[in-house]
Amino acid sequence: MGVTKEQLESTLTSKLNPQHLEVTDTSGGCGASFVVDIVSEQFEGKRLLQRHRLVNAALEEEMKQIHALSIKKALTPQQWTQQQEESEKSKSAA
Amino acid sequence: MSSVGTFQLVLPSFPSSSSSSFTNTTLSLRPLPFPTSPLQRHPHLNRNLQHFDAISLQHRSKSGRNFGSFPCFSALSPELKRTIDKVVTSEKVVLFMKGSKDFPQCGFSHTVVQILKSLNVHFETINILENELLRQGLKEYSSWPTFPQLYIDGEFFGGCDITVEAYKSGELQEVLEKAMCS
Repeated sequence: MGVTKEQLESTLTSKLNPQHLEVTDTSGGCGASFVVDIVSEQFEGKRLLQRHRLVNAALEEEMKQIHALSIKKALTPQQWTQQQEESEKSKSAA
Repeated sequence: MSSVGTFQLVLPSFPSSSSSSFTNTTLSLRPLPFPTSPLQRHPHLNRNLQHFDAISLQHRSKSGRNFGSFPCFSALSPELKRTIDKVVTSEKVVLFMKGSKDFPQCGFSHTVVQILKSLNVHFETINILENELLRQGLKEYSSWPTFPQLYIDGEFFGGCDITVEAYKSGELQEVLEKAMCS
Protein backbone atom coordinates (compact mmCIF):
# COMPACT_ATOMS: atom_id res chain seq x y z
CA MET A 1 0.00 0.00 0.00
CA GLY A 2 0.94 3.60 -0.23
CA VAL A 3 2.57 5.52 -2.97
CA THR A 4 6.25 5.65 -3.80
CA LYS A 5 8.39 8.69 -4.32
CA GLU A 6 9.09 7.43 -7.85
CA GLN A 7 5.37 7.24 -8.64
CA LEU A 8 4.85 10.82 -7.54
CA GLU A 9 7.86 11.96 -9.52
CA SER A 10 6.71 10.29 -12.71
CA THR A 11 3.15 11.62 -12.41
CA LEU A 12 4.31 15.15 -11.69
CA THR A 13 6.88 15.00 -14.47
CA SER A 14 4.36 13.90 -17.07
CA LYS A 15 1.62 16.33 -16.02
CA LEU A 16 3.49 19.48 -15.04
CA ASN A 17 6.70 19.12 -17.01
CA PRO A 18 8.79 20.52 -14.15
CA GLN A 19 12.14 22.12 -14.62
CA HIS A 20 13.10 21.09 -11.14
CA LEU A 21 11.42 18.51 -8.95
CA GLU A 22 12.25 17.18 -5.55
CA VAL A 23 10.02 14.69 -3.79
CA THR A 24 10.89 13.62 -0.27
CA ASP A 25 9.19 10.72 1.44
CA THR A 26 8.61 11.86 5.01
CA SER A 27 6.41 8.95 5.98
CA GLY A 28 9.21 6.79 7.31
CA GLY A 29 8.40 4.07 4.81
CA CYS A 30 4.62 3.72 4.66
CA GLY A 31 4.31 6.02 1.66
CA ALA A 32 1.63 8.30 3.02
CA SER A 33 3.50 11.53 3.58
CA PHE A 34 5.57 13.57 1.18
CA VAL A 35 7.21 16.93 0.76
CA VAL A 36 7.37 18.38 -2.73
CA ASP A 37 9.47 21.16 -4.25
CA ILE A 38 8.49 21.83 -7.82
CA VAL A 39 9.43 24.37 -10.46
CA SER A 40 7.26 24.55 -13.56
CA GLU A 41 6.43 26.98 -16.32
CA GLN A 42 2.80 26.12 -15.81
CA PHE A 43 2.88 28.17 -12.59
CA GLU A 44 3.54 31.35 -14.53
CA GLY A 45 1.00 34.05 -13.72
CA LYS A 46 -0.70 31.91 -11.10
CA ARG A 47 -1.10 32.61 -7.41
CA LEU A 48 0.13 30.15 -4.83
CA LEU A 49 -3.33 28.71 -4.26
CA GLN A 50 -3.76 28.00 -7.95
CA ARG A 51 -0.31 26.45 -8.13
CA HIS A 52 -1.11 24.14 -5.25
CA ARG A 53 -4.39 23.27 -6.93
CA LEU A 54 -2.48 22.26 -10.07
CA VAL A 55 -0.26 19.94 -8.06
CA ASN A 56 -3.20 18.50 -6.16
CA ALA A 57 -5.10 17.92 -9.38
CA ALA A 58 -2.11 16.25 -11.02
CA LEU A 59 -1.88 13.90 -8.04
CA GLU A 60 -5.61 13.26 -7.72
CA GLU A 61 -5.24 9.48 -7.89
CA GLU A 62 -2.26 9.34 -5.58
CA MET A 63 -3.87 11.68 -3.05
CA LYS A 64 -6.37 8.99 -2.15
CA GLN A 65 -3.57 7.10 -0.49
CA ILE A 66 -1.53 9.99 0.78
CA HIS A 67 -2.20 11.37 4.21
CA ALA A 68 -0.06 14.47 4.00
CA LEU A 69 1.35 16.26 1.01
CA SER A 70 3.31 19.33 1.82
CA ILE A 71 4.17 21.57 -1.11
CA LYS A 72 7.10 23.55 0.18
CA LYS A 73 7.95 25.25 -3.06
CA ALA A 74 5.89 25.82 -6.17
CA LEU A 75 7.89 28.25 -8.26
CA THR A 76 8.15 29.45 -11.81
CA PRO A 77 11.52 28.87 -13.52
CA GLN A 78 12.23 32.59 -13.18
CA GLN A 79 11.59 32.62 -9.44
CA TRP A 80 13.66 29.47 -9.08
CA THR A 81 16.69 31.02 -10.84
CA GLN A 82 16.27 34.13 -8.72
CA GLN A 83 16.19 32.12 -5.49
CA GLN A 84 19.26 30.16 -6.49
CA GLU A 85 21.17 33.31 -7.31
CA GLU A 86 20.23 34.78 -3.96
CA SER A 87 21.35 31.72 -2.07
CA GLU A 88 24.60 31.71 -4.07
CA LYS A 89 25.17 35.29 -3.08
CA SER A 90 24.52 34.70 0.59
CA LYS A 91 26.86 31.71 0.47
CA SER A 92 29.69 33.68 -1.06
CA ALA A 93 29.09 36.52 1.36
CA ALA A 94 29.39 34.21 4.35
CA MET B 1 -29.71 -0.56 -6.33
CA SER B 2 -26.83 -0.62 -3.95
CA SER B 3 -26.42 -3.22 -1.31
CA VAL B 4 -28.15 -2.57 1.97
CA GLY B 5 -25.26 -3.92 3.97
CA THR B 6 -22.69 -1.32 3.04
CA PHE B 7 -25.34 1.34 3.04
CA GLN B 8 -25.93 0.78 6.73
CA LEU B 9 -22.26 1.05 7.49
CA VAL B 10 -22.15 4.68 6.58
CA LEU B 11 -25.28 5.84 8.36
CA PRO B 12 -24.47 8.88 10.43
CA SER B 13 -25.56 9.19 14.01
CA PHE B 14 -28.81 10.80 15.01
CA PRO B 15 -29.37 13.67 17.40
CA SER B 16 -29.60 12.29 20.90
CA SER B 17 -33.26 13.23 21.21
CA SER B 18 -34.17 10.15 19.25
CA SER B 19 -32.01 7.84 21.32
CA SER B 20 -34.94 5.73 22.43
CA SER B 21 -35.20 4.33 18.95
CA PHE B 22 -31.59 3.25 18.87
CA THR B 23 -32.12 -0.44 18.71
CA ASN B 24 -30.94 -1.19 15.22
CA THR B 25 -27.76 -3.05 14.52
CA THR B 26 -26.03 -0.18 12.80
CA LEU B 27 -25.50 1.67 16.03
CA SER B 28 -22.24 0.00 16.90
CA LEU B 29 -20.95 0.61 13.38
CA ARG B 30 -21.39 4.34 13.43
CA PRO B 31 -18.23 5.88 12.01
CA LEU B 32 -18.10 8.90 14.25
CA PRO B 33 -20.12 10.42 17.04
CA PHE B 34 -22.33 13.36 16.38
CA PRO B 35 -20.60 16.74 16.74
CA THR B 36 -20.46 17.60 20.36
CA SER B 37 -18.89 20.06 22.72
CA PRO B 38 -17.04 22.60 20.56
CA LEU B 39 -20.05 23.11 18.37
CA GLN B 40 -22.56 23.41 21.14
CA ARG B 41 -20.97 26.69 22.01
CA HIS B 42 -22.02 27.87 18.56
CA PRO B 43 -25.70 27.21 18.14
CA HIS B 44 -25.72 28.53 14.60
CA LEU B 45 -23.08 26.15 13.36
CA ASN B 46 -24.42 23.31 15.40
CA ARG B 47 -27.88 23.75 13.97
CA ASN B 48 -26.46 23.80 10.48
CA LEU B 49 -24.46 20.67 11.01
CA GLN B 50 -27.42 18.79 12.48
CA HIS B 51 -29.39 19.99 9.54
CA PHE B 52 -27.15 18.41 6.99
CA ASP B 53 -26.77 15.17 8.84
CA ALA B 54 -30.53 14.88 8.66
CA ILE B 55 -30.64 15.99 5.06
CA SER B 56 -28.02 13.64 3.84
CA LEU B 57 -29.93 10.81 5.44
CA GLN B 58 -33.07 11.71 3.56
CA HIS B 59 -31.05 12.22 0.46
CA ARG B 60 -29.56 8.79 0.69
CA SER B 61 -32.73 6.95 1.41
CA LYS B 62 -34.40 8.66 -1.52
CA SER B 63 -31.67 8.03 -4.02
CA GLY B 64 -30.61 4.73 -2.56
CA ARG B 65 -27.03 5.54 -3.43
CA ASN B 66 -24.17 3.92 -1.73
CA PHE B 67 -22.06 6.74 -0.43
CA GLY B 68 -19.56 4.70 1.49
CA SER B 69 -17.75 2.46 -0.90
CA PHE B 70 -18.00 3.83 -4.42
CA PRO B 71 -14.85 5.68 -5.39
CA CYS B 72 -16.80 8.07 -7.60
CA PHE B 73 -19.54 9.18 -5.24
CA SER B 74 -20.34 12.79 -4.61
CA ALA B 75 -20.26 13.71 -0.95
CA LEU B 76 -21.47 17.21 -1.62
CA SER B 77 -25.24 17.32 -1.89
CA PRO B 78 -26.86 20.65 -2.78
CA GLU B 79 -28.15 20.85 0.80
CA LEU B 80 -24.72 20.28 2.27
CA LYS B 81 -23.29 22.88 -0.07
CA ARG B 82 -25.82 25.45 1.12
CA THR B 83 -25.01 24.62 4.71
CA ILE B 84 -21.28 25.03 4.16
CA ASP B 85 -22.01 28.32 2.37
CA LYS B 86 -23.67 29.49 5.57
CA VAL B 87 -20.95 28.21 7.85
CA VAL B 88 -18.06 29.82 5.96
CA THR B 89 -19.81 33.17 5.92
CA SER B 90 -20.99 33.01 9.54
CA GLU B 91 -17.62 34.37 10.70
CA LYS B 92 -14.86 36.35 9.02
CA VAL B 93 -12.34 33.60 9.65
CA VAL B 94 -13.32 29.96 9.76
CA LEU B 95 -10.85 27.12 10.09
CA PHE B 96 -11.86 23.54 9.35
CA MET B 97 -9.33 21.46 11.19
CA LYS B 98 -8.50 18.20 12.91
CA GLY B 99 -9.20 18.70 16.58
CA SER B 100 -10.06 21.96 18.27
CA LYS B 101 -8.43 25.31 18.73
CA ASP B 102 -7.22 24.25 22.17
CA PHE B 103 -6.43 20.65 21.25
CA PRO B 104 -5.35 20.37 17.63
CA GLN B 105 -5.00 16.74 16.63
CA CYS B 106 -2.68 17.23 13.71
CA GLY B 107 0.56 19.15 13.27
CA PHE B 108 -0.65 21.06 10.22
CA SER B 109 -3.83 22.16 11.95
CA HIS B 110 -1.79 23.15 14.98
CA THR B 111 0.45 25.33 12.83
CA VAL B 112 -2.45 27.29 11.35
CA VAL B 113 -4.06 27.76 14.78
CA GLN B 114 -0.76 29.12 16.11
CA ILE B 115 -0.47 31.57 13.21
CA LEU B 116 -4.02 32.85 13.64
CA LYS B 117 -3.55 33.16 17.41
CA SER B 118 -0.33 35.08 16.94
CA LEU B 119 -2.14 37.54 14.67
CA ASN B 120 -4.77 38.12 17.32
CA VAL B 121 -7.69 37.56 15.01
CA HIS B 122 -10.98 36.14 16.08
CA PHE B 123 -11.54 32.84 14.34
CA GLU B 124 -13.96 29.98 14.49
CA THR B 125 -12.76 26.38 14.31
CA ILE B 126 -14.72 23.35 13.27
CA ASN B 127 -13.45 19.88 14.04
CA ILE B 128 -13.93 17.83 10.90
CA LEU B 129 -13.01 14.64 12.77
CA GLU B 130 -16.41 14.86 14.41
CA ASN B 131 -18.38 14.74 11.21
CA GLU B 132 -17.37 12.44 8.39
CA LEU B 133 -19.99 13.85 6.00
CA LEU B 134 -18.74 17.35 6.48
CA ARG B 135 -15.17 16.16 6.06
CA GLN B 136 -15.86 14.47 2.73
CA GLY B 137 -18.17 17.22 1.52
CA LEU B 138 -15.64 19.94 2.27
CA LYS B 139 -12.99 18.30 0.15
CA GLU B 140 -15.29 18.76 -2.82
CA TYR B 141 -16.59 22.13 -1.75
CA SER B 142 -13.09 23.59 -1.54
CA SER B 143 -11.59 21.35 -4.25
CA TRP B 144 -8.93 20.69 -1.69
CA PRO B 145 -7.96 17.20 -0.60
CA THR B 146 -6.63 17.79 2.89
CA PHE B 147 -7.14 19.60 6.18
CA PRO B 148 -6.80 22.17 7.64
CA GLN B 149 -8.78 24.45 5.32
CA LEU B 150 -8.83 28.13 6.06
CA TYR B 151 -11.71 30.36 4.96
CA ILE B 152 -11.45 34.13 5.09
CA ASP B 153 -14.48 36.24 4.29
CA GLY B 154 -16.29 33.23 2.89
CA GLU B 155 -13.48 32.38 0.51
CA PHE B 156 -11.10 29.47 0.59
CA PHE B 157 -7.69 30.85 1.44
CA GLY B 158 -5.60 27.70 1.53
CA GLY B 159 -4.20 24.82 3.51
CA CYS B 160 -1.27 24.80 5.90
CA ASP B 161 1.57 25.42 3.42
CA ILE B 162 -0.19 28.35 1.77
CA THR B 163 -1.10 29.90 5.11
CA VAL B 164 2.50 29.62 6.31
CA GLU B 165 3.84 31.16 3.08
CA ALA B 166 1.28 33.96 3.17
CA TYR B 167 2.09 34.61 6.82
CA LYS B 168 5.79 34.90 6.05
CA SER B 169 5.21 37.21 3.11
CA GLY B 170 2.70 39.37 4.96
CA GLU B 171 -0.08 38.59 2.53
CA LEU B 172 -2.12 36.79 5.16
CA GLN B 173 -2.04 39.82 7.43
CA GLU B 174 -3.23 42.01 4.56
CA VAL B 175 -6.07 39.71 3.61
CA LEU B 176 -7.15 39.45 7.23
CA GLU B 177 -7.06 43.18 7.72
CA LYS B 178 -9.16 43.69 4.64
CA ALA B 179 -11.63 41.07 5.83
CA MET B 180 -11.93 42.65 9.26
CA CYS B 181 -12.69 46.06 7.76
CA SER B 182 -15.26 44.83 5.27
